[in-house]
Amino acid sequence: MMANGFAPEGPINSNTEHEGPNVLYSTDPADFRYMTVNVPCQSACPALTNIPAYIRALYESKFGLSYEINRIVNLFPGTLGRICSRPCELKCRHGESELGKPVNICHIKRAAADFRPPGHTYLSPRFAPSGKSVCIVGSGPAGLAAAHDLAILGFDVTIYEACHEPGGMLRYGIPDFRLPRDILSEEIQNVLRLGISLKLGVNVGVDISLETIMADFNAVLVASGCYESMKLGVPGENLAGVYPGLEYVMDVAAGYKESIGKKVVVTGAGFTAFDCSRLALRLGAEDVSICIRGFEEDLRVTHDEILEAKREGIKIRSLSLSKQILGSDKVEGIEFQRTRPIERTSGGRRRVQPIEGSEFVVEADTVIVAIGQAPRPVTGSPGEKNDRGVLLADRKTFQSSTPGLYVTGDYLTGPTTVIEAIASGRRAAERIAQDLTGRNFREWAVRIQDFRITDRDRSWDVLPRIEMPTVLPVKDRFLNEEVVEVESGYSSEQAQEESKRCYLCYLHYEIDVAKCIYCRYCIDNAPRDCIKLVKQVLLDETGAVKELVETTNWLDVNAVVIDNSRCIRCGECVRVCPVDCISVSKVELLERPLVQESKA
Amino acid sequence: MSMKRFVIIGNGPAANHAAKALRENSSESRITIFSKDPFRSYRAHLLPDFIAGLIKEEDLYNSSYAHYNEMDINLRLGQRVVSVDFSKRNVILDHKEVVPFDGLIVATGGKPRLPEQFQLFQDIMLTLKTPLDARMWVEKLSNVDSVLIIGGDLTSLSLTKALLKLHKRVKFILNDDAFWPVPLNEEIYRAVTGRLEQRGVEIVHCRRIRRITQLEENLLEVETDREILETGVLGAFFGLVPDVGFLARTGLDIDRGILVDEFLKTRFANVYAAGDCAQVYHPALRDYWVSIGHENATALGRIAALNLAGSHFEVQVKPESILEVGGVKINTSWWTEF
Repeated sequence: MMANGFAPEGPINSNTEHEGPNVLYSTDPADFRYMTVNVPCQSACPALTNIPAYIRALYESKFGLSYEINRIVNLFPGTLGRICSRPCELKCRHGESELGKPVNICHIKRAAADFRPPGHTYLSPRFAPSGKSVCIVGSGPAGLAAAHDLAILGFDVTIYEACHEPGGMLRYGIPDFRLPRDILSEEIQNVLRLGISLKLGVNVGVDISLETIMADFNAVLVASGCYESMKLGVPGENLAGVYPGLEYVMDVAAGYKESIGKKVVVTGAGFTAFDCSRLALRLGAEDVSICIRGFEEDLRVTHDEILEAKREGIKIRSLSLSKQILGSDKVEGIEFQRTRPIERTSGGRRRVQPIEGSEFVVEADTVIVAIGQAPRPVTGSPGEKNDRGVLLADRKTFQSSTPGLYVTGDYLTGPTTVIEAIASGRRAAERIAQDLTGRNFREWAVRIQDFRITDRDRSWDVLPRIEMPTVLPVKDRFLNEEVVEVESGYSSEQAQEESKRCYLCYLHYEIDVAKCIYCRYCIDNAPRDCIKLVKQVLLDETGAVKELVETTNWLDVNAVVIDNSRCIRCGECVRVCPVDCISVSKVELLERPLVQESKA
Repeated sequence: MSMKRFVIIGNGPAANHAAKALRENSSESRITIFSKDPFRSYRAHLLPDFIAGLIKEEDLYNSSYAHYNEMDINLRLGQRVVSVDFSKRNVILDHKEVVPFDGLIVATGGKPRLPEQFQLFQDIMLTLKTPLDARMWVEKLSNVDSVLIIGGDLTSLSLTKALLKLHKRVKFILNDDAFWPVPLNEEIYRAVTGRLEQRGVEIVHCRRIRRITQLEENLLEVETDREILETGVLGAFFGLVPDVGFLARTGLDIDRGILVDEFLKTRFANVYAAGDCAQVYHPALRDYWVSIGHENATALGRIAALNLAGSHFEVQVKPESILEVGGVKINTSWWTEF
C-alpha cells in the first residue's frame, strides 16, 4: 500500500515481454539517485525519456513501441527527432573519452517516427473525467504538452492561440527545411484529438482579457513563450536593414518575407541565429556570416547544425563583440571589438571581455540580431509581475500570486529548448491537476527487474557512429519550387545499426559479495576501470553510493565492486565469473499511473 | 625538492625546440614528448622532394633517436594524447595511461584543412602533411598518370613541381575557397595560373565542385559546374588548421587554435601553447593571429619553454608578415620566402 490511498498499477512504458514475478518498483531516493548517475542519457533529458528502452525497442524492430516510449513523455518524437537540442548525447557514456562518439540518440528517435507502422498501439492511460476545465494560453510546445496531459488526466482543455495555426515556436520559430510542417501538424493533431478545444487567432490580453478567461475556467495556464526579441543596445540598431532574429524567422515562416540583402551578418549563438543565416541563403544572400562573442565551442546548437551551416557556405566569426552598426540611413557595416574569454557564469554561459583598441569593421547590407528572446507581457494580466510587466510564478509549483493562474514553459523560465518547454508544460499540468482535485495521478518510480546478460556483441562497441545523411550537393537544398528538408533521415537498417551502439545503461551489474571468491577474473577481463577493489563504500544522504574508496593493498580489500558509472555493460565479467556471483537487472525510471482505491 | 615533470604534446619544430630549451634551462626535470605519429620529427618542406624521388625517406627526419637519449628526453612516438585533465594535471593517452605533469606545452601543430563541403570525400582525397601521406602519394603515383589538385596552398605548389618532374599530367583547380594562406584575388589568380601553365599544368576554371565519384580504384570522376573530369588521383590542399580537437571541452579556450597571450600562456598555470596550434592575442597587432612556418614554430616553442622555466619573454611579431585569412590573421614566414 502506498501513501495517500493510491496503489501502483502495472508499468506503462516497458517492454512487457520480460514482465514476471521478479519485478519491483521503488521510490527510494537512493534508487532515483542511482538512475541519475548511472543512466546519464535519461537523466540529461528534461522530459526523462527512457532512452535505452526506446533504442532497444527499435533494435528489435518494434518501431511503434519505440515511438510510443518516446511519445508518452516527450509527445512529439517525429518533431524532436529532427530539432531536439540533444542534451542526452552530451552525456551519453559512449561519448566519454576513450569510448568514441555518443550514440546518435536523436536520429534513432526520428527513425522510430519515420518507420512506425500505421495504427500502432497508444500506451497513454486515460483517466475518468474530472468535471473541471483548464484554459491554456499558447499552443507552443509547453502549452500543447500541458494540454495533452490535462486531457488524459480527465480535464476539459481549451487552448487560446494568437496565431492562425497551432505550434507556436515549433511552427513559426523553426524553418521548414529543418522541420517539415506535415510532420509537425500530424503530431499536434495527435494531441488535439484528445478532445482539446483550440481557438486560433485569439490574442489573450488584446482580444480577450485574462480575467474574463479566468472566470470561465477552473484554472488558466499561461504558456505563451518568448516572442520579444532582445536588442544589442548599440548605436545604429534602428537603421533600415537591421532585423530582430525571431521576427525575421517568423516573417519568413508566415510567408511575409521573400528577399534579403546580399551581405548578411547575423549576431547570436543559438538556433535562431543559425536559422536566420540559413534562411538568408535560401532567400538569395551571397555572403552570410554568424558573429559570436566567444568561440565555436560556445555555440548553443548541435555539431550537426554547425557542420551543415558551414557546408552551405556560412562563415562563423568568433571572438567578435558588436560595438555599433554603421550606416547613414541604412546598414553599411558593423563594427566589432575583439574579445578575450574569461570565466564562465555559474550557468555555463561564456563571459568575454572586450579588448580596447581592437575594433574592426565587417561590411554588410543586412544585420540580423538573434541574441535571445524574452516573454511579452500579457496586457492587463492580474498577479505579481516583473518590471517589464511579465507575469511571475513559482518555478516549482507554476503558481502565480493569483489563485488558479499558472505559468509554464519559456514564459516562466525565459528561452529554453523545445524539450525543456515540453517537460515544463507536463509538470505544470500535473501540478494543476493535483491542485484542482487534491490527488496525485502519476508518480515516477524505478522499475527493477531480473534480467539476462546483454546480448550485445563486443564488436558493436567499436562500430562508428552513423551520421545523419543530408541532401547533397548543397545546391539541391536551394531549389525554389519546394522546401527541401536538409536531413534526409536514416534508413531503417541504418537506424538499427546505430542502435547497436547503445550500451543499454539501464542494465545494472552487481557482484554478490557473499558469493565472490576474490579471484579477480572479472577485473582482468574488464574493458576499463569499471570493477574496483574497495576498502569502503561511502553513501550519500539518500543512501546511494557516493564514492568507492579503492585500495591497492590486498589486505585492505573488503569487496570487489562494479562501478556502474564506468561500466559499459559488456557482460565480460558475468561470462568469466567462475562462481556465478554477478547478477544483471534492468532498471528503468518510469512514470506510472496511480489508481485510486475503491472506498468499498 | 622532487623532479619537475614537463610534458610536451607534439613532435614538430615547436615541440622539439621547446624540449631543447627546457632541457637547457632545467637540467633536473623529466621531459616527455608525446607524438601521435609513429615517426620522428621531420622536415615537411622536403616531402615533395621525397615523392619526386630526389631524396630518401631517411633524409626527411631531423634527429636520431640517440639525440633524444643524449638530451635525456623521453620520446614516446605513436602515443596519442586524447585528453588533458587540467584540474588533476594529467594527460590521458589513447591506451588509457594517465601521465601527471607539472608543466605542459601543447605544440601539436596543424593538420590539413578540408572545407566542410569536401569532408564527405576525404577518403578518396590525398593530402600531404606527414611522411605517411608522402608514402601514400608514392604508392598511388606508381599506378596513375594524371593528378587533379584542388586547392592552392603552398604545399600544393611544391608538390606540383614534384609531379611534373615525375612526368605526370597535372590539372589544377584554384578558386577563392581554396587558396591559402592569402585571399585569392584576380591579380594573384592570374599570376599563379600563368606560372603553372608555363610549367605545363592544365588549369581548370570553375566555381565549384559538384560531385566526386570513384569509378575504379585508380579512376575518379569529378563534376564541376562547367565540365566533368577524370583523374587518377585527387589531392586536396586547403592549408592547415591547428590540430587541437582533442582538447575540446577540457576547459582550454579554443577558437581556431589554443588562445594564449603574448607570453604563450593559456588560462591554466604552467600550461603553454606554441607553434601552429597557438592563437595569440598580441597587443601590437591589436588582434589574434595564428602562426605558421618552421621559423615561427621554433621561435614560439623556445619562448614557451623559457617562460615555463620561469622567464618572461614576449612573442615578437612582424606586422608585414601578417596575413588575414577567414577573419584570422596568419603570421607566415613562408609567404615572404615564396
